[in-house]
Amino acid sequence: MKRWIAIAAVIAVAAVLPLLLNPTGYWIRILTFTLLFAAMAQVWNIIGGLANQTSLGHAAFFGIGAYTSTILLLKFGLSPWIGMFAGGLLGGIAALIIAVPTMRLQGHYFALATLAFGEVMRVIANVWTPLTGGPGGLSVPFMPPSVAAYSFKQLLPHAYIALIALIVVTFIFEAIRRGAMGYRLRAIKENAAAAEVIGIDTTKVKLQTAVISGVLMAMLGTLYAQVAVFFDPDTVFSAASISIRVALIAILGGVGTAIGPILGALFIIPVEELMNDLFSASAAGLSQLIFGVILIAVILWRPRGFITVFDAMVARLSGRAGS
Amino acid sequence: MSKISRNRAGLSRRTLLAGAASVLASPMVISSARAQAKPVNVGVILPLSGANAQFGINSRNGIELVADEINAAGGIKALGGAKINLIVADATSTPTTAGTVAQRLITQNEVTAILGAFASSLTIAISEVTERRDIPLLTMSFADQITGRGFKNIFQVVAKASAIGKAQLDYSVALAQAAGSKIDKIAIMYEDTAYGTAQAGGLRAAAKAANIEIAMDDAYPLGITDTTPLINKLRASGAQAVFPVSYLNDSLLLIRTMRQQRITIPAIGGAAGYVIPDFEKGLGEFAENVLSIAPANYDLAPDLTERFRKRYGYFMVHEALEHAVALDVLVQAIEKVKSAKAEDVAAGLRGAKFTGGWTKAMTGGAVEFDSTGLNVLSVPVMVQWRNKELVTVWPKDVAKGSAVWKS
Repeated sequence: MKRWIAIAAVIAVAAVLPLLLNPTGYWIRILTFTLLFAAMAQVWNIIGGLANQTSLGHAAFFGIGAYTSTILLLKFGLSPWIGMFAGGLLGGIAALIIAVPTMRLQGHYFALATLAFGEVMRVIANVWTPLTGGPGGLSVPFMPPSVAAYSFKQLLPHAYIALIALIVVTFIFEAIRRGAMGYRLRAIKENAAAAEVIGIDTTKVKLQTAVISGVLMAMLGTLYAQVAVFFDPDTVFSAASISIRVALIAILGGVGTAIGPILGALFIIPVEELMNDLFSASAAGLSQLIFGVILIAVILWRPRGFITVFDAMVARLSGRAGS
Repeated sequence: MSKISRNRAGLSRRTLLAGAASVLASPMVISSARAQAKPVNVGVILPLSGANAQFGINSRNGIELVADEINAAGGIKALGGAKINLIVADATSTPTTAGTVAQRLITQNEVTAILGAFASSLTIAISEVTERRDIPLLTMSFADQITGRGFKNIFQVVAKASAIGKAQLDYSVALAQAAGSKIDKIAIMYEDTAYGTAQAGGLRAAAKAANIEIAMDDAYPLGITDTTPLINKLRASGAQAVFPVSYLNDSLLLIRTMRQQRITIPAIGGAAGYVIPDFEKGLGEFAENVLSIAPANYDLAPDLTERFRKRYGYFMVHEALEHAVALDVLVQAIEKVKSAKAEDVAAGLRGAKFTGGWTKAMTGGAVEFDSTGLNVLSVPVMVQWRNKELVTVWPKDVAKGSAVWKS
């Protein structure tokens, strides 16, 4: 009961926060991207944290979602709300196609195979110019504001949509983790052979997680496209700025926990932005260097992620409340 | 990843110190300026890190030169001598980041206008933000989409990529003709970026219109490391002229491999990597006589551009020149409307013609925007490397020398 009250309180605070910011401004854009990346890292966490399969190719699904909804909007005038589900379907199919041959791979081999898949998608988007606009990228057209058309002049609605998306994927993550599937995944993670022996269809469980993660990632791609308004193959299929970054957010925050990706995104996205703000005029490139140093320091300080700091704080607070 | 790591080497202790010092000094600069008329904030968003950093730095130098000159001459007269306060920010190589930076400059710094961002994809991302906030964006990026979306707050001082690609071919045909030869067969090589594909499109269309056979038409990935297969294909194609469109590193590799294999057909580059000092530094004698299309060239207005060379020690590359023109035009618009409010300035720019100052350095001798924000007076020029300098060789009426064309 107490736990639910705490969750409701956090959501309430998160819901009020966007109202305090300039609705067309800079900080609301940072907030929106922070929430979106938290959601993306949470989705990655389903496969990377629960199934323990370190994917470095999630940009593939993400880009499929961004491109599907935007192409449907440009060519057929279809609302991105519908396009989002079409993208999710294609993302799920893509996840299935890549999961079948790669699920047997372990550790580094799996990571490398997924990395290659993301790159393949980037090349396809680059050369399939009639459909994707090629390297020139796609612009989401500037339309009169309307909820049905998913078009807003201000960023405020986008911030709320991103917040809702984060809440939804976090609940999905928790539901999987606590459910039968979570137990099966944990069994596989501990010892795949033993899991098989006790009757778990390991391939099936891994495929399920991969598809769920792929579908959700593609749907988030649509949200990103609607906020960023312009994207090209290098943006949405990027290994560095999407695939590796979402993995990094989840790992830095605390892999396999529901709060980890949120903590990771709350740290990484604003700090990265702050570094660019502080140093880009005087010594461009320095920001990335300092950002890298901070990341190394954080990982050395807390190898298991920010979640350990968070847990310690919660333990101290509840200990104090208890006594 | 390679994009990011490439320019890290340029980071020295001196830059670090300079960076730290300027961060510390910035509050003082702001407070001392406040004593006079309120300065006009102008956002400058450029790729200052990553693969295109050199182009970004060149552009920034051009803008700073003009801003300092205007400030030294008493600032903006219509606003009581208000100084121009440049707010420079790194666009990195990611369009989304460029968009975020634009949002930051608009909200935090209340900029009157934004200049940038060299690479077309970055400019497009910024324009999506500025258009929604009614902030004028002045650019020298030239992908066709920039002025093709019906935006009201974008102003492009140079011709479109398709027009530049067309000129790249048409001028070459004219040069060959002037040298008493004829082009029947050409090769096109371009990097698969927005800029490369758009310009290659213009080249292709012009070749078709002129009934010239395209014996080779190859895209290659940005940052290619081995161009030998491309050059072998070029040799086998029997083309009489080659049209490579690329940024710097690829241009060095392509021309070096070609010349080492003793392929001597004329090479006509597509601006970007072919018209900066690093091209000649990287290639030495191989650079001599390489032609390139360019949206503008410094030798058309030496009285203006020599000021750049004097301050920075190298010739005023076209991106620096065009960004200088963009700032000059912006200041002229502010003087005209007597306001630093973004909407007023945008209205002053729309459909207007600007003469004098830096606009004299452009072909057409002035800048005039049409309803899409395109400068209709700008015509590309053909330049040729001669003894470490770029000489304008076509069109005839502006040429400063005649072309060397050996087929």
